[in-house]
Amino acid sequence: MNKSFRQSMAWLHTWTGLLLGWLLVAIFITGTSAYFREEITLWMQPEVHDSTLQPGTIDMALAALNAKAPDARSWDISLPGPRQTAAELRWQPAKPPEDGRRHRGEQILMDADSGEVVAPRATRGGNFFYRFHFELYGIDRLWARLLVCLATMFMLIAIISGVITHKKIFKDFFTFRPGKGQRSWLDAHNATAVLALPYHFMITYSGLLLFMTLIMPWGIDAAYENDRRSFFSEVFSRGEDAAQPGSPGEMVAIGPLIEQTETRFGKPVERIQITNPNRDNAQITLRVNRDPAVTDRQRGGDPTQVFQGNTGELIDTHIPANDPVSPGWRIYNFFTSVHMTRFADPLTRWLFFLFGVAGSAMTVTGMLLWVSKRTQQLRRDQQPDRALKMVNGLNMASITGLMLAIAAYFLANRLLPVTLAAREDREIQVFFIVWLVSLVHGLLRPNRHGWIEQVAAASLLWFAIPVVNIFTTASHLFTPLAWQHAAIASFDLVCLILAALGGHTLWRLQRKPLPAKARRAPAPRPFNTTNPASEQPAGESP
Amino acid sequence: MTMAPPLFLALALAYAGLTSLSLAMKRHHDQVMGRKLQPERVRYYRWPGWLLLALSLWVTLTVWPLGLALFMAVGLVAIAGLPLVFLLPYRARLAGRLAVALPVLAMLTWSTVALV
Repeated sequence: MNKSFRQSMAWLHTWTGLLLGWLLVAIFITGTSAYFREEITLWMQPEVHDSTLQPGTIDMALAALNAKAPDARSWDISLPGPRQTAAELRWQPAKPPEDGRRHRGEQILMDADSGEVVAPRATRGGNFFYRFHFELYGIDRLWARLLVCLATMFMLIAIISGVITHKKIFKDFFTFRPGKGQRSWLDAHNATAVLALPYHFMITYSGLLLFMTLIMPWGIDAAYENDRRSFFSEVFSRGEDAAQPGSPGEMVAIGPLIEQTETRFGKPVERIQITNPNRDNAQITLRVNRDPAVTDRQRGGDPTQVFQGNTGELIDTHIPANDPVSPGWRIYNFFTSVHMTRFADPLTRWLFFLFGVAGSAMTVTGMLLWVSKRTQQLRRDQQPDRALKMVNGLNMASITGLMLAIAAYFLANRLLPVTLAAREDREIQVFFIVWLVSLVHGLLRPNRHGWIEQVAAASLLWFAIPVVNIFTTASHLFTPLAWQHAAIASFDLVCLILAALGGHTLWRLQRKPLPAKARRAPAPRPFNTTNPASEQPAGESP
Repeated sequence: MTMAPPLFLALALAYAGLTSLSLAMKRHHDQVMGRKLQPERVRYYRWPGWLLLALSLWVTLTVWPLGLALFMAVGLVAIAGLPLVFLLPYRARLAGRLAVALPVLAMLTWSTVALV
């Protein structure tokens, strides 16, 4: 390949990577946590932990809805599953409130054992990170999405230019040479990038697809004459419009219908939707969990049966996997389903989490490589200039700082008073304050000492989470309850793993003497801090 | 968790395949075996390596539907390959032994689960 072409690609890779790298690190780490966003929310609401699906749960849920909203336009029950312990009851009130909250309706959580309504502490849970990874926080949603979209495009550019730049992609496929500064970071960056390349490409390209209507609206505007609403209702239709309520009437017992659906699909019913409940035109929709097979067929496509509410007559059986879908849609559906992983069972979800960890490690090692390379180029007595110090400080904030802030967010969830006003906002404030402090600290001490301090603080906070849990909840690691729902115990275990990785990194950082060359220099060479071998793989929250 | 045993096997096969492919390279053959790689012996490592990766793909196809399985098969290469890359400079012999032990262990696990 032409040498100057490769050089220009290297230039492109270096600078597109740096410019939006800090944002990409944050997107990757929060996005990786989003694979477990429901599990994180569950962990953050310990009030609902002691709840398990029982044979009587469905009847209790219907009784609760009958008591709360007998004349609602629709009911919606999500039963406990691997990602949720309580039953979630939602309904659309007969008279929608005037403040435009019509589409959301009302929502309560019900203990699946006792049928009592539980009011867990207010928190944004895992949704905070999920939202953050594509629309950040506190800025206008449209601009934030455009910024994330821009970063995604840069990421795609970085992937392509990175592959072209990499001279010995096959020869160095398994190569890692530790303890050699820049060389080691480059090896680590290459290994995480090349081995997980299909994942990196998939997650970036599908990220752009999800932003499709945001970045290329002109085709839709032309075809639909600037009426985007009709485009969305035609293309992304959800078919939620219910018929007018009929006259009051009895509904059949739901038990036999559930049995019928479970026999038909061979899976437990997970969701029950009833439109016009207690009316003669009631319709009962029973859904089981979707198969991975539907990923390229239809988004949100659960196998479903619909029954007439007053007679129990089967009206419709819908298996989305059998729907005819055009090739274009299949590609779109496949990429976006894989990106969001809503179909995944727990084991597949863990694999995606590990892919995400590899992606985070790639962005993190890339940022560290940038600094390491320029530090190594310094002459013996030369001090890093202001720009290099700033990059190092920003790296610290975006890597260890973010890990600190995430840990602080979880600790705030356990330590803030349960009845505190606007509690969910306070948790988020703690997150941003800690992040800001780490940024200031990083810019003030953009050197080895700064890294050591932040890694130490992060390890301490991550270790503190399961410990604080022991004193503040009844579902910590030493209770059977935490192990009953694997998600809860796993959360604490991942915290301990992250703390251990941080501790190991710290040990390597402390143990390694300053480079001999630096000790001879007038001032200790403050950069080129860590040994990549000990780099925590850009740990994530679970 | 009926998919756990086949998944473990797919992962173990991917690891063994990648290790075999690395043994077909001078640098890593040195690290793991402690002796020089004879050029005519390269094929003894390269072909089994690809075969093991193909087997891993085949097992993956039994776990997930086609499209997802293809994606997960290349994903498993990352999950199996990264430990290998970071084991090679530190514990090269262990890396080699794991390539034999893991698939055996995975098959034993699967057959145990199947029998019980």
